[in-house]
Amino acid sequence: MAVTVRIPTPLRSLTKGEETVTAEGGTVRAVIDNLEGAHPGLRERLLDEKGIRRFVNLYLGDEDVRFLDGLDTQLKSGDELSIIPAIAGG
Amino acid sequence: MSAARVLLIGLGGLGCPAALALVRAGIGELVLCDDDVVDEGNLHRQILYGQADVGADKLDAARAALAHTAARTGTRLTLVRERFLPDNARALARSVDVVIEGADNFATKFLVADAGRLEQRPVVHGAGIRWVGTAWAVSGAGHPCYRCLFEDVPVGAQPNCDSAGVMGPVVGVVGACMAELALRVVSGRPCWGELWSFDGKVDVLRRVAVSARLDCPLCGRSPSIDDTDESRYQGGSCAA
Repeated sequence: MAVTVRIPTPLRSLTKGEETVTAEGGTVRAVIDNLEGAHPGLRERLLDEKGIRRFVNLYLGDEDVRFLDGLDTQLKSGDELSIIPAIAGG
Repeated sequence: MSAARVLLIGLGGLGCPAALALVRAGIGELVLCDDDVVDEGNLHRQILYGQADVGADKLDAARAALAHTAARTGTRLTLVRERFLPDNARALARSVDVVIEGADNFATKFLVADAGRLEQRPVVHGAGIRWVGTAWAVSGAGHPCYRCLFEDVPVGAQPNCDSAGVMGPVVGVVGACMAELALRVVSGRPCWGELWSFDGKVDVLRRVAVSARLDCPLCGRSPSIDDTDESRYQGGSCAA
């Protein structure tokens, strides 16, 4: 199934500038694996050995997936996954 | 509003428009905290400064830019000519009603978050890099707080703020959002825990509700952070 992933500006260098990309997968983990195939390097920016990096948040709609089932959160076709990294600067 | 004291940490691209909006709104006292000087590379986004200010203390240049309006609206300007650091953080936070931070590094952001929570002071956080910026308000009690969302200071190699760049209009929008969030707090209509994210490439402002974490070390069920020891604020300087 296809879901839309919103890519934040700091990570768009990995998606050739695309603001949103489409990825396949029935869980957040599967979608990230699929993203890595199309956009190498993205998984490392999102995950570490413990799971989702602590300064990155993944939202399914308006819900933080940490408060759902984390990387095992189920997705359905048409869902929107947003990546929200910590940023500093101004 | 005219009795409210607001501490603004960082007079950069976010702090300048936020200060301007707060003074024009007639906030009671605006405490400006910064120890930097104006650089030519700041001028495209730090709207309180002009070419003649290059090399001057930001505090002095900002006061000069704000003084006329502040006199009209009755806002008192107070200057704190030092960095916001672990040894002064709690006292500075304690001295005001609301803290606003537009810091350009994660160490300061986490320090502000901790000091605000420990002193029960609301904090408005703002950040901007390249074409995107975020702003949100955190209650003095947390639930959620900055550490609920981002946990801890990022470690390891991170892209550098200087090389990443910041678009002037983006931080202008986000700085205005920060001022609005602060004004909502002091006027008794706060908007806690809603992360506003502005994308300047598509001109979209999105809002996401941040959830509190029960295991948050700052505002969770059994918080472990009870001071602002400097060892807590080690790590990278700019994640992107």
